[in-house]
Amino acid sequence: MKNITLWMRRYVTVYGIIMLCTFFMCLLFNPTSELSVVSFFGRIMVFTLIALLSLAVYYSKEELTVKAWWVRTMLHLLLLEAVLLPLAHSWGFWQGGTDILVYAGFILLAKALWHLVDYGLNAKTAAQINERIRKNRLEKRA
Amino acid sequence: MRVTVEQIDREREEELIVRCHDPGAAWVQGVQEAVSGQQTVCGWREDEMHRLKLSEIFYFEVVDDRSFLYTQAAVFEAKEKLYEFERLCTGSTLFRCSKSMILNAEKIDYVRPSLSGRFEAVLSNGEKVVVSRKYAADLKRMLGV
Repeated sequence: MKNITLWMRRYVTVYGIIMLCTFFMCLLFNPTSELSVVSFFGRIMVFTLIALLSLAVYYSKEELTVKAWWVRTMLHLLLLEAVLLPLAHSWGFWQGGTDILVYAGFILLAKALWHLVDYGLNAKTAAQINERIRKNRLEKRA
Repeated sequence: MRVTVEQIDREREEELIVRCHDPGAAWVQGVQEAVSGQQTVCGWREDEMHRLKLSEIFYFEVVDDRSFLYTQAAVFEAKEKLYEFERLCTGSTLFRCSKSMILNAEKIDYVRPSLSGRFEAVLSNGEKVVVSRKYAADLKRMLGV
């Protein structure tokens, strides 16, 4: 149950980030294009699913070292670009020329945002834990 | 506070359930220490066997299929596997913090988030260890957050 909640939360976060990136990409570079709501959200769902499946890159039996984590993060970014760029092109999210660079930049931005959201949530958890540790220490002293 | 002692059959496993408002309260910690804190585990160092109280242990780590116990300033080799040690620690302040480590929550000075999506716990002896996010929830529960 704990894992299901975690993955649901991840899905919603990634979905939101990809939806915003794609929306702004279309708004900036293809403002006249029309896409039905169901089609737009359906494609974003597929994008999200691919993005989450690609997290398998991080799978390891051992705990990852910081260096190994950075290597896999780079690999993950490359994998995302390699899979999402052609798919987005086939769906008409970008046409050519500078579009590809901007879309690749959006994927990079989305990944950075994902890690930032993660960091923010962890900072909140760390603050709660530290507050509890501090209270426990004060109680023991009293 | 009401205290209930129930006598059970020999076949059933003995257990102690503490129902409390605050799991971090001193008296709850006291009960935990009475039950498990005095429990000892064997650690080997330079061919000598040492009996270590669970409360003395900072963390237990498996490196290259060998188990080690870390105290304030010393390292001992242990015979237990990770899952065996984890079972031994049930009800104590030691908890699984990553794929290869069991950490004593009492020895944590503070935790901070790391960019790798995990936490770094700084222990009271200055050592830094990694706490996976998956297991941070257990730490929160243990501390009563």
